[in-house]
Amino acid sequence: MIARASLVALRELFAERNQPDGLAAALTFTATLVLLESLAFGPGRATQPDVASGVFWIAILFASVLISTRSFDRDLEDDAIDAIIALPGGREAIYAGKMAALGIVLALVALVAGVFAIFLLDLEPALPWHVALVGVMGVLALLPVSVFTSVLALRVRARVAVVPILTFPLLVPQLVAATQGMSAALSGASAEALGWTGLLAAFALVYTVLGLTIVPAAIE
Amino acid sequence: MTPSASLHDATVVLDDHPVLHRVTFEVLPGLTLVRGPNGAGKTTLLRALAGLVPLARGRRQVDGAPLLVGHRPMLLRGLSARANLTFLAAFRGRPTHTVADALVRWGLGGVMDRPMDRLSAGQRKRAALARIETEPEPVILLDEPFADLDADGAARLRESVRAARLRGQDVVLVTHLSDELDGDASRRFIVDAGQVRPA
Repeated sequence: MIARASLVALRELFAERNQPDGLAAALTFTATLVLLESLAFGPGRATQPDVASGVFWIAILFASVLISTRSFDRDLEDDAIDAIIALPGGREAIYAGKMAALGIVLALVALVAGVFAIFLLDLEPALPWHVALVGVMGVLALLPVSVFTSVLALRVRARVAVVPILTFPLLVPQLVAATQGMSAALSGASAEALGWTGLLAAFALVYTVLGLTIVPAAIE
Repeated sequence: MTPSASLHDATVVLDDHPVLHRVTFEVLPGLTLVRGPNGAGKTTLLRALAGLVPLARGRRQVDGAPLLVGHRPMLLRGLSARANLTFLAAFRGRPTHTVADALVRWGLGGVMDRPMDRLSAGQRKRAALARIETEPEPVILLDEPFADLDADGAARLRESVRAARLRGQDVVLVTHLSDELDGDASRRFIVDAGQVRPA
């Protein structure tokens, strides 16, 4: 299972390297949102930890949907995904492999967006390592749901609309936890930041296990 | 004789429409040709054998994981032909050192490292069909394999199917062409309106 998922993850990363349109769209979107935040809220309010982290995680939430949708679009072209689904263990490997690869891609987007926000908004994170930890756990908590809903809506004609409609309500708790955790890390509340990080880890674990359990039966 | 793959009393419903209706079909040694008009259910028959469509009724039995080469190439456009075939062979636990040779035999020696989206339709088809040699599974399912192939590619395909038969692989070939490989076939079937009958 791990070997097969690793193969799918490598395939995904090579495909993303050769056709980085998902990554490019996500980077452009997150950077634009951070830029618009500074214009919309003004320099004073935009640097407040809760505002900055809220906008950041909304951007990452949209980016996770963009990246996973684009990844499955690519696999639906020429029915490439069917070649894997038809193989024993293929369905689980698609879910786990895509999650691993897209996790790396989304982490890259979060890193670039985070650095961009720090410089543009002139943020001074009180607990930088806590910020990084919340960032990693937030990515791990968001992605299983985006990939999961992309799989569920794989053959749906209005997939572009259905995936966000399914994903966003499911991700509200993760969004709240990530925003609160990042806000706490930015303002120096260590225990609070770690508490929210633990909750994000629990979300990541639950949805990963849920996905691995349901996806093999749900994927068509 | 034990079939290497079969459908028993299988019904497949797609978009509330029964595409296959209570079909019993067995894959036996040699080459099995399946013909029929467009929309008759030929592709669905192969996809049901490969486990790619759920059965609303009946059951499917298959030895191992059949190799299905679909009407579309089933290869990722963002990767090269070599990367695609290496990935699929590795996923099955097959050796990957045969991939480059197979692609050379299929006339793709000069373009095997070019992304699939920069290949012509015929070249993409050749890359897909080279899987017959890199994933030598007991059951091979080919859906309209002659589509997009030029005369040279078609000759290569005939040769590849004959070689697979000699290796003891069971081949099911769906085609709307009336004469392709007819002389080599052990069995011939017609699919029409969701039913399968001997030709």
